[in-house]
Amino acid sequence: MIKHFLSLEWKQFKRASYFQKGLAIKILLFLAVLYFGGIAIFMGGVMFFGLEKAFPSIDPIVMVNNYLIYWILFELMIRYFMQQLPVMNIKPLMIIPITRNSVIHYLLGKTILSFFNFISLLIFLPFSIVLLFQGYPVMNVVLWFFAIMSINLSINFLNFLINKSNTVFYVIASVVIVIITLRYFNIFDITEPAGILFNGLYNQPYLALIPFLIMIGLYKVNFDFIRRGFYLDGAISKKTKEVRATDLSWMDRFGNLAPFLKNDIKMITRNARPKQVVMMSFFFLFYGLFFFTQSMYIEKMPYILAFAAMFITGGFLLSFGQLVPSWDSEYYKMLMSQNIPYRQYLESKWYLMVVAVAVSFILSTPYIYFGWDIYLMIAAGALFNIGLNTFITLFGGALNRVPIELNTKAKAFSNTNGFNPTQLLIALPKMLLPILIFFIPYQFISFNAGLIALALTGALGIVFKNFFLNKIENIYQKGKYKTVAAFSEKK
Amino acid sequence: MITVNNLSKSYNGVQVLHLENLDIPKGQSFGLVGNNGAGKTTFFSLLLDLIQPTTGHIKSKDILVNESEAWKPFTSSFIDESFLIGYLTAEEYFYFIGELRNQNKSDVDALLAQFEDFFHDEILGKKKYLRDLSKGNQKKAGIVAALIGNPEVIILDEPFANLDPTTQIRLKQIIKHLAEKKGVTVLVSSHDLLHVTDVCERIVVLEKGEIVKDLQTSEATLKELEAHFTN
Repeated sequence: MIKHFLSLEWKQFKRASYFQKGLAIKILLFLAVLYFGGIAIFMGGVMFFGLEKAFPSIDPIVMVNNYLIYWILFELMIRYFMQQLPVMNIKPLMIIPITRNSVIHYLLGKTILSFFNFISLLIFLPFSIVLLFQGYPVMNVVLWFFAIMSINLSINFLNFLINKSNTVFYVIASVVIVIITLRYFNIFDITEPAGILFNGLYNQPYLALIPFLIMIGLYKVNFDFIRRGFYLDGAISKKTKEVRATDLSWMDRFGNLAPFLKNDIKMITRNARPKQVVMMSFFFLFYGLFFFTQSMYIEKMPYILAFAAMFITGGFLLSFGQLVPSWDSEYYKMLMSQNIPYRQYLESKWYLMVVAVAVSFILSTPYIYFGWDIYLMIAAGALFNIGLNTFITLFGGALNRVPIELNTKAKAFSNTNGFNPTQLLIALPKMLLPILIFFIPYQFISFNAGLIALALTGALGIVFKNFFLNKIENIYQKGKYKTVAAFSEKK
Repeated sequence: MITVNNLSKSYNGVQVLHLENLDIPKGQSFGLVGNNGAGKTTFFSLLLDLIQPTTGHIKSKDILVNESEAWKPFTSSFIDESFLIGYLTAEEYFYFIGELRNQNKSDVDALLAQFEDFFHDEILGKKKYLRDLSKGNQKKAGIVAALIGNPEVIILDEPFANLDPTTQIRLKQIIKHLAEKKGVTVLVSSHDLLHVTDVCERIVVLEKGEIVKDLQTSEATLKELEAHFTN
């Protein structure tokens, strides 16, 4: 039986659209996997020595155990947002003489091969090997590793439940929030008891049985959950959420563009994929923390800061904007035959990005903490984003012909939805231009001259908005048939 | 209203459609029949400028559809589900289309009120996204959306498929009414010979991309069509 499943699975993999993409993408994906895998292995390998050096008085394994809880929470969060639930196409299997149990076992077993499970493996396996070489007791290390892997898989199955049931999601989310708040206000620090717990796992190796049993338990819960819902209208059916009406009539002031803007807002709030992207773009806001906290950048190479400043307000622009017009791929034919001038469509997307930059700029106010210089730089970066990057992004969109499935989350590495090498090429000027524009006046005149140059470029872009939009519209018009054809390809 | 001149479409050198001459006068209800691959959807896609003609052109109200966008305000269509926006409710979708065609909310509401029996209480006020509706109900929503904004040309690709008998009968009345009373040019394709002969004044049979029959509908038309498709 399993043999049949595997062959189906293999065909699905081999014939999936992402696999039939160009060689360049395959190589890129392969490199990305190698890169992240390599980083994980490297981290696992050097973690021991790094910790030993940084905290000579504490045993590295104790240190790791103390903070393991955060790794687990982090993993839970990443998985919740990124991990796609394994949906095997159960429907055709329901009426075929295969026992339901074996289908479900297979479905759950398949999740073990998820990319996310390998992150932990790739980090903790080298770490454990190093431990063994350092002469730590074999029994303890091996069983500790076994326990960690059990926890890893428990998270895997827990994520399944969190995704399927709102109650589980709210319970877990509130527990996490309580833990973080208590820790933040120094009322109660979870690190300590959690540390004791995980160190206990190491010191009393037979305790590894507990996480193993938890894993088995979660597996069983999942199994029952799917078993109960193994009907067309049960667990495998897509959840049909009742519509929450949103009143967006206040947007009517945008005139001709209002219907598009309203539609885009609904698109973002009602579909899994754009929601995910908007969440990600929110994290861009914190990007500055990497740079502004390092005096090296501020004193020696402030031009790197121009890059950071652009990133802070450009999160939405970079992540959402680069997939215009793919966001509308599901109904692109309709848009193209409806009473819509291309120009209006593009302009509404432009406004959406401008609003997003403005909102991010307001949200970035706390950066004043790092000084006015920094804040002015962010402002100049925002202006540059509005005035130039928006147009570069829209221009890049004209070359982007990969359809997007709106209501499925992007999978890590296995889904190249809306991703192609041209996007990478287009992304380069978006990031390098601000550095360049800042660097030249900065080098020859002063810091402020750099700021002014950056801001001025942005302002110029806004002045020539119509010119740019006209040019971009022409490019879109030329590519229209290709885009329509590409978007209507079946995935 | 619509004139086709030496229109052809080829993919990799294989011709899938070739129409020498075709004139569709204003207010005609025009039916297109043919087996799978005959070129019906290709023709409609060319009419909507969704694909590029290999040779020739289509003029709609003297506007070259592949060169100007001016045909869009008076043309509407429903080809398949990809014309729907899945994450909107039916009402939201109708209002969206209405806004694109300069109809305010009450205009749209007034139009929708005429189709209450067509919807059979399964479309409006359901608090469901279009993507969660059944195929038939999606089709109903798409067809009615194509009627918004007083279009002069309406293109419907297989509008009868997936519809229940009640709605099929109602749709026939709607199409007839549009063509006879309002002077709308309606283009319909179908695999159901009975329906097209009921609805359309003129029926064109396509075979491998070419017109093989061009009939003014009469008593004998159904028999003739059936005879044609039997061999």
